Amino acid sequence: MLEKGRISSFQLSVLLVGFVLGSSIIITPGGDAGHDAWIAIALGLMEGSLIALIFTALVLRFKDKTIIEINDLVFGKVIGKLISVLFLWYFLHLGALVLNDYVHFFRLELYPATPRTVMLLIIMLVCASTVNRGIEALARCSLILVPLTISVIFLVTMFLIPHFNLNNLMPILDLPIGKLLWSAHSVASFPFAESVVFVMILAFLNKSEKGGRAVSKALIIAGLVLIIASIRNSAVLGPMVAAYNYPSYQAVQVIDIRDIFTRLEILVAINFITMGFLKISVLLYGTVLGLAQVLNLQSYRPIILPVGILMVILALTNVANTIELFDFTHKIYPIYAVPFQIIIPLITLIIAKLRQLPKTDGGMP
Amino acid sequence: MKATKKVSPVNLSRKLEDNLKNIKDSLGESSDIIIREMKISSNANVDAAVIYIDGLVDRDLVSRDILQPLMFNLQFIKDKVGQKNSSLLGCIKSSVLTVGQVETTENIDSIISSVMTGQTAMLAEGSIQALVIDTKGWEKRAIESPENEISIRGPKDSFTETLRINTALLRRKIRDPNLSLVSMQIGQRSKTDVVIAYIKGITPDNLIEEIKQRLKRIDTDAILDIGYIEQYIEENPLSLVPTVGTSERPDVVTARMLEGRAAILVDGSPMALTVPFLFVEGFQNPDDYYARPFFASFVRIIRLLGFLLSIYLPGIYVALKSFHPELFPTPLLITVAAAREGHPFPVVLEALLMLILFEILREAGLRLPRSLGQAVSIVGALVIGQAAVSAGLVGAPMVIVVAATAIASFMVVPFADTGALFRLIMTIVAGFLGLFGMIIISLEVLSHLAALRSLGVPYLSPVTPLNTSDLIKDTWLRAPLWALGSRPAFLDPLDKKRQSPDQKPHPPQNNPNERKS
Amino acid sequence: MKNRQQGKISLVILLSIISVFIVGCWDSRELSTLSLIAGLGFDLDPATKRATLTYQSIVPSQVKPSPSMGGGEGKQTGSGGLQSIQLDHDTGLSPYEVLNRYTQHGSRIPFYQHTQVIVIGKAAAEHGLYPFLDTVIRNPAGRPNILLAISDNKASDILAVEDGMENIQAVGMANIIKLSARFSKYPAVTCLDFTSRFIGKTTAPVAPIMGVFEETGPEGKRQKKIRINGTAVFKGDKMIGKLNEQESSGLLWVINQIEKGFVIIPEASLEIIGSKTKIIPELTGGKIKITVEIEEEANLIQYNNARNITPDLIHQLEKAQAREIESQVKAVIKKSMALNADIFDFGGAVHRKYKKEWKKMEPRWDDIYPTIEVSVKVKTRLDEIGDINKAIMTE
Repeated sequence: MLEKGRISSFQLSVLLVGFVLGSSIIITPGGDAGHDAWIAIALGLMEGSLIALIFTALVLRFKDKTIIEINDLVFGKVIGKLISVLFLWYFLHLGALVLNDYVHFFRLELYPATPRTVMLLIIMLVCASTVNRGIEALARCSLILVPLTISVIFLVTMFLIPHFNLNNLMPILDLPIGKLLWSAHSVASFPFAESVVFVMILAFLNKSEKGGRAVSKALIIAGLVLIIASIRNSAVLGPMVAAYNYPSYQAVQVIDIRDIFTRLEILVAINFITMGFLKISVLLYGTVLGLAQVLNLQSYRPIILPVGILMVILALTNVANTIELFDFTHKIYPIYAVPFQIIIPLITLIIAKLRQLPKTDGGMP
Repeated sequence: MKATKKVSPVNLSRKLEDNLKNIKDSLGESSDIIIREMKISSNANVDAAVIYIDGLVDRDLVSRDILQPLMFNLQFIKDKVGQKNSSLLGCIKSSVLTVGQVETTENIDSIISSVMTGQTAMLAEGSIQALVIDTKGWEKRAIESPENEISIRGPKDSFTETLRINTALLRRKIRDPNLSLVSMQIGQRSKTDVVIAYIKGITPDNLIEEIKQRLKRIDTDAILDIGYIEQYIEENPLSLVPTVGTSERPDVVTARMLEGRAAILVDGSPMALTVPFLFVEGFQNPDDYYARPFFASFVRIIRLLGFLLSIYLPGIYVALKSFHPELFPTPLLITVAAAREGHPFPVVLEALLMLILFEILREAGLRLPRSLGQAVSIVGALVIGQAAVSAGLVGAPMVIVVAATAIASFMVVPFADTGALFRLIMTIVAGFLGLFGMIIISLEVLSHLAALRSLGVPYLSPVTPLNTSDLIKDTWLRAPLWALGSRPAFLDPLDKKRQSPDQKPHPPQNNPNERKS
Repeated sequence: MKNRQQGKISLVILLSIISVFIVGCWDSRELSTLSLIAGLGFDLDPATKRATLTYQSIVPSQVKPSPSMGGGEGKQTGSGGLQSIQLDHDTGLSPYEVLNRYTQHGSRIPFYQHTQVIVIGKAAAEHGLYPFLDTVIRNPAGRPNILLAISDNKASDILAVEDGMENIQAVGMANIIKLSARFSKYPAVTCLDFTSRFIGKTTAPVAPIMGVFEETGPEGKRQKKIRINGTAVFKGDKMIGKLNEQESSGLLWVINQIEKGFVIIPEASLEIIGSKTKIIPELTGGKIKITVEIEEEANLIQYNNARNITPDLIHQLEKAQAREIESQVKAVIKKSMALNADIFDFGGAVHRKYKKEWKKMEPRWDDIYPTIEVSVKVKTRLDEIGDINKAIMTE
């Protein structure tokens, strides 16, 4: 076993909440649904939970095995490895996209002159050193960061209540149903179903039978937080919510309580740094561990930095500008992600069921 | 273990002269080694010698209870030896010496090591045995009130340099026969006595085994202080945070032992070491438990706040000023900008200057004789506070920030030195990357702490991994003592229950003396 | 083995971080290199299409002299005019070109994050604000809650007025706007409010109008002062009209932004303590009817007649007050119909209730709006009558 650490189902939940909040904390998903974004998020949460059901069922069927080992078992060594490599590409690419979100946000709002490469490398170094410390350290970090972030979100929402105009949320379901469903699907693919990377982590649960509940609990909590954030942004910003790139950041700028509790937008940025850190670390961990398993390495630690730097290079080259990034995430990504999030896990699950895998050995039920 | 040379034990010979020569050779020509030769026996024909080290023994005891009986009771000795067919030394041991602990040995090495620890050896012509008499008694410091860990309501005793006194202090607090004191000697040359103290039945056995393993591994020339042990048994020696706790207060050490920790005491060190040491322990103070719970909880939260402030405040100030001026509320920004106007240094430099100046002052004040120390602090305060500002070298807000930081840094004593380093790092990072850099460094530190263990226990427990009941009851809040029913679960104590469940005091159900008004 | 690897990795990390520090600090902006722009004025010459920006920047050394500068100077700032701010002008073709010109004469980098108020000249407002608005909203330095005001002449005139109790004139202007909104005289409009209405297509943006007036001071010196004297009504990005004082309060009544303030009726003065407005649209046979329901609560703070207050009288006062509010509201509705500018967001109210029908109505809103039948229902309540319960003089 490459990873000796074990995490509890509670730690898994918290880590997953942090992962889902990852970059969606700043790029509120469902933005193209305007003030109905919260409905899109709720629908997307449902779809995302269904998707999560598939891959959790798959991984928990094979106790203590990551998707890489499962692929080998289900499809045989050759095809299995090919499919594993597809997954690894997805994790790597997703990591690069999150890095992109990071850099675009910070370079726009706070650090216009700092070179992207430096910024990316700094983030990557921290994530790499955390991944180097293993899944336990990562899960423990999330146990501190996620509650902190959620309480900051609630605090900020409290401060914004005087600026709420609930009329901004009306009329409910203003969108044509097709557009709403598309928006809901795009919410499902980002961020909820991205949790498919946990096929690399679910194996390390100390009590695997609790895995399914842990995942669904986490998705619901993260979904609620996102819904609250989305309602808040619509209520505060009104129709402008669809125009701003980073509505949460703009909404928090509105806070002004007696000229002292004001200009708190840095809290949103801090939330984004911490949650993005968790998300990138999880993705890096998934990629690195998977690669080590595909290549039959003794340890995944030596390849952390190379893979991390690969991720940085991918982030530097895959999109040319912000609008391209947004275009990709809104228009292409929801379709691009479908095979990784739904189709491959579903096929694997079906084949595993047909072949009655995993084979029970030695008369054990 | 392989490195230590096993000296083959040289047995005593029947000739006193040879024995004394051997011992003299081993001990060398030190002036504090006293070899008192004498004749015992009525006809003065048996040569004998008493060997001890001046300063390590109780001179009164040696002269009153060893020399005097040996020299004055010659007839008596002769009678005794004559009566029974027993050996001279056996007779002396049983009937002449009026000292509590006397042992016999036949080995020169053991005689020498006993003498080195303050015992007195007695040899006699014609005997292949020697008596080792416990006469330890050197000048020692009395038990004084603790100097560094001051408590308002708690007991006022503290450990001293003498191991026996320290173990006695522990025994006096816990009269449970299960209090175990396992001793060993560490240090090829110093041969320092080290005692592992724990309560059998509470402290998990594997913890004790682990400590023994780690102590046995130590193979060095001398252990001069508990700090030596600390550095040899730490889990992650390159970490900036301490992973073993120290205390000079017997009450703190016993309290920690009662929670399931083990203590290590070292002869010659007025401190005890407790393991495992966790992050939250740094914020706990004996007074928290002696005072009522509400204020104790409040103070703990204040300590956490002070700790965070002491690390982050200068950094935040620097970052806001040189990277994020948009985050100041406007009136504050105008004030700050007005104060900054015309100062020659960038804010980072200003901050670093002040912080390092403060560290210099602190260190100088600490090491200088007390009278001089005060002079230093007065000069320092004047230079930092007044002159630097009025000369326009440093902005007044910076002085306020550094002063507040300095005061806050002393709130959490175990992390005071760690905090100073982190503060400097944070300030430097803030000067180069602003808040983003500070957060990134904080994340790195957090993940380091999350991975850190102290003797197998995760350093950040019970916060992460989470243990809700421990977190609520005795971490940042302190529940009333009657509610602290079990020992902290993260320490994995053998006996989890601490008290019976119905400890909450309540008014008498039917008080016969109730006043009827 | 593991330790050595960890050591190597941390060494690499350490070295890279150090190298970042050696090379770094790209975005460091020392406070003393920034010029804090407190107020920004935007003017446009309709003939030449040239834009002029007026910056009111803070001179920190003059705001609050630090102790090292000696104690005596504090007073000089007060008597010797406002040295704590500095005015600069630039002219150019597009707003950003003008912003850029600042570097030709400014010794410090302009910093807009602490801008309190943006004043727009009347000519610019009538000509169209879009390019300027885009500059403000798109720029990360432009915060959504900067206050907007329209000058009744040129923006530079307003920013040049040396008046007020505040050291920084722009702060004083922002306070004037906020105070007039708190006492329910004129709306306080932030960039966010303005653009939200702007993006909403059917809703017309509004903004308070500021004017300069002259007054003879105590020593016979002519003093210039600022006051708000109306509300500008926009259609799209162009200013098309102006609401007077009464109409402005009427607007606040309808859009439910009454906080505090006074209602003056012939025989008494009443202090508003709370008010709630509902806009209820009704669609019958293709025609829209809108009911504005106002529920108000007030205290009596002054009564002109030397009579004791009786329950009957209270009742009468309540009615008179309702009439007064109604007349304010009716006045503003009439004005907005005349301008054909939906400043009340009636369109939004219809949208919220009849979302299907709205799709068809939205493009024709300009035609529909003037035909809407608006009825006003005011319910008032008098609560307290003050510290005395008897008239202090009897007739």
